[in-house]
Amino acid sequence: MTFRQKISVKFALVIILAIAAVLISYPKAVSKIPPVYSVLEKLKINLGLDLQGGIHLEYKPDLSKIDSSKIDESMQAVQDVIERRVNAFGVAEPTIYTTKSGSERRLIVELAGVKDINQAKNLIKETPFLEFKAEGPADTSKDIPQEMLDTLNKQAKQKAEDLLKKALAGDDFAQLARDNSEDPGSKDNGGDLGFVKKNTFVPEFDKVLFDGGLKDGEVYGQLVETQFGWHIIKKIEQRGEGDGLEIHSAHILIAKKANPAPKVNYVATGLTGKNLKNATVDFASQGLSEPQVALKFDDEGTKLFAELTKGNIGKSIAIYLDEQIISAPIVQAEITNGEAVITGNFSVEEAKSLVKRLNEGALPVPINLVSQESVDASLGGESLAKSLKAGYIGLGLVVVFMLLYYRFLGLIASFALLVYAGMMVSIFKLSGLTPWQITLTLPGIAGFILSIGMAVDANILIFERTKEEIRRGRTILGSLDEGFKRAWTSIRDGNISSIITSLILIELGTGFVKGFAVTLIVGVLLSMFTAVTISRTLLKFILGEWISDRLWLVGVKKSEIMEANKK
Amino acid sequence: MYNIISKTKYAYAFSIALTILSVLSISIWGLKFGIDFTGGTVMEIKFSQSLPTNQEIVGILNELDLNSLTVQGKGGNSLLVSYASADDSINQEVWKKISGKYPEAIQSKVDYRDSSVSTELKQNSLWALFWAAVGIMAFIAFAFRKVSRPVESWKYGAGAVIALIHDVLITVGAFAILGHFKGIEVGVPFIAALLTILGFSVHDTIVVYDRTRENLLRGSGKEAFPEVVNRSLNETLVRSINTSMTVIITLLAIYIFGGESIKNFSLALLIGVSFGTYSSIFIASGLLVTSYELQLKK
Repeated sequence: MTFRQKISVKFALVIILAIAAVLISYPKAVSKIPPVYSVLEKLKINLGLDLQGGIHLEYKPDLSKIDSSKIDESMQAVQDVIERRVNAFGVAEPTIYTTKSGSERRLIVELAGVKDINQAKNLIKETPFLEFKAEGPADTSKDIPQEMLDTLNKQAKQKAEDLLKKALAGDDFAQLARDNSEDPGSKDNGGDLGFVKKNTFVPEFDKVLFDGGLKDGEVYGQLVETQFGWHIIKKIEQRGEGDGLEIHSAHILIAKKANPAPKVNYVATGLTGKNLKNATVDFASQGLSEPQVALKFDDEGTKLFAELTKGNIGKSIAIYLDEQIISAPIVQAEITNGEAVITGNFSVEEAKSLVKRLNEGALPVPINLVSQESVDASLGGESLAKSLKAGYIGLGLVVVFMLLYYRFLGLIASFALLVYAGMMVSIFKLSGLTPWQITLTLPGIAGFILSIGMAVDANILIFERTKEEIRRGRTILGSLDEGFKRAWTSIRDGNISSIITSLILIELGTGFVKGFAVTLIVGVLLSMFTAVTISRTLLKFILGEWISDRLWLVGVKKSEIMEANKK
Repeated sequence: MYNIISKTKYAYAFSIALTILSVLSISIWGLKFGIDFTGGTVMEIKFSQSLPTNQEIVGILNELDLNSLTVQGKGGNSLLVSYASADDSINQEVWKKISGKYPEAIQSKVDYRDSSVSTELKQNSLWALFWAAVGIMAFIAFAFRKVSRPVESWKYGAGAVIALIHDVLITVGAFAILGHFKGIEVGVPFIAALLTILGFSVHDTIVVYDRTRENLLRGSGKEAFPEVVNRSLNETLVRSINTSMTVIITLLAIYIFGGESIKNFSLALLIGVSFGTYSSIFIASGLLVTSYELQLKK
């Protein structure tokens, strides 16, 4: 192939590329050829939510109680559940995915074209979080140490003995009770306990009262120790006979100090809503009363539940819904059929709605809305129209500037710039056919417009250099070659810095920045190609010696060359 | 040929004055951070018929006892309501109150950031700036790795970095002033703008330095260093101005026609790019000559 032929082939390729870019970016150009048009018309730019209206929600799952090996699995379960719920809501194209942000995980829900934002949000918010917890070791951290209790109780017993002496010595029993008794129920009535039948009180107390042989008005001569503490007992009177015998008594209690009964501390078991297969409304008794919710676990859940029940016979397992305990039945036996029942004080309606929520999926971990960006469709449309207008004006002004300043070269650069713009749009459209779809957002358009301004930089560098070489007395074609060659390092180095910052911006990762940086980086890379390869091919094809007599076309004055030659 | 290098001292005076002014306004007023960095909610509400006054909205929301509530007009029939919000339920309540009183109103735009997100964005932004600085410096070191006499190559790098700090400081200073007097807030887009300015500023400086290096390599040695620098500046002057012109044209188009949401973003870029061009012409090359002269004195 001769030099000329090579150039011709390259030129043809550029023209084909330009036509393809025009067709893909502006299918209306062939609206008169229906088969082509209908294919091209299907390619659409994927517009961001800020341009078409929609809602972007970020949820943070609480993974603090999840074993780190199970985090991926849990996130997948969260995503699946939310996906099912959102699909049920009937949004056109929901996008739901999970991301990592540093060490944190996020669930992102993007809904385009949702009219009622709050309804969508509530729907997601209502996703139940179901969890089964087992009894863990009791929390004894706040208990009083035993030695201290012993000392306290010694003092209490001593006090009781002193009181007993006073009572036996004939001090007013009622008054002593009022001043000293630690039984809040009786102290204010002077320790009076009223008439009771046998076996009403704790056995130690009962025995003294009924079998102690006390006379009416007599104080029992010893302290009586019960689980509550030390009692000083006085029989007041009695009535009835045999089984009907009732004794009226009074007492003074000095309470024993003890740690409160340990509260059950429930711990996570790993069995959660993600193991739920389905839920149904059930009734505890025949007929329609006492509705309850019957749960059926999946295979993994069945296994977990069997292990759980086996290991906790005689203990309780608590069922938590949205972090509230709703029932804590005692396990009677191992359950291997993967079925459980939630009894609670449900009304039929409540049971039904809970079942519906559970069947749409229950979350394995609670999630919290941490970020929201929503744009109304009309505002989105307005932004799109405005930013496109800014783009056309920007592009137009740059073309005018280039034509005025660089004339013929400017025309070539403008052509390359238009091909660049067409190819950018084509890339946006075609990316939808690949896994790396580019979403065009408002900042993305800003990045695009900015890249138009930056794209001609390469041409300016080349042309300035070319003009310089022409002034130095080189031939036009020689100058052009020199211009491209010399300017290339500057073009490359200059763009690398933009690429570095764009890559870092993409890493920073939030919506606004990402949209901007992605278009900027695609733009920078593409413009290096269009400004260099396309304009070079065009110039080599078109330019010839004919231009030597028309140097004004490239913006160089003959006098300048003369001057250079004189030097 | 313009003798640009001889004017260096005026450029220094101008730049030092601007830099001091920027540092002062940053340290006195600081930047006005938006919800990206403080957490909270900004709600743009469009009313169908009559626009309620700001006081009316404040009155309606009075009961909710919102922290740092502000209401401002936004042109057309829209109001911008912003407040600190601990969690999303507050947003629901605010909207319930407003839509209860004005059933026709619509939420054109709602941005909400939980405090954990804003803390994270702040951290990420600082990291992004840090890594951009590291990346750019590594690149500068790489680009100027070949020693060129008579000024050592690291001095080119230092010159580019000083010019870059100058551009970024002035942009941040301008936004500290705009934040104080005009209430313009900065968010993540501002960080994106700063990083873009970093890239652009270096880009510009590199083109000028590249030419200096080329002329030094090809030079006959008869020409003194300051003259080579000045000639290189002149040779790249048209390119520097023209490139900035096209970028500024597009940025102006975005600023004027592009709509509200990207206005401040393009303003930051406009300021940064303009000063980036200025500094690569007047400061970066001037620094080379200054360091050369200091070297001679030794």
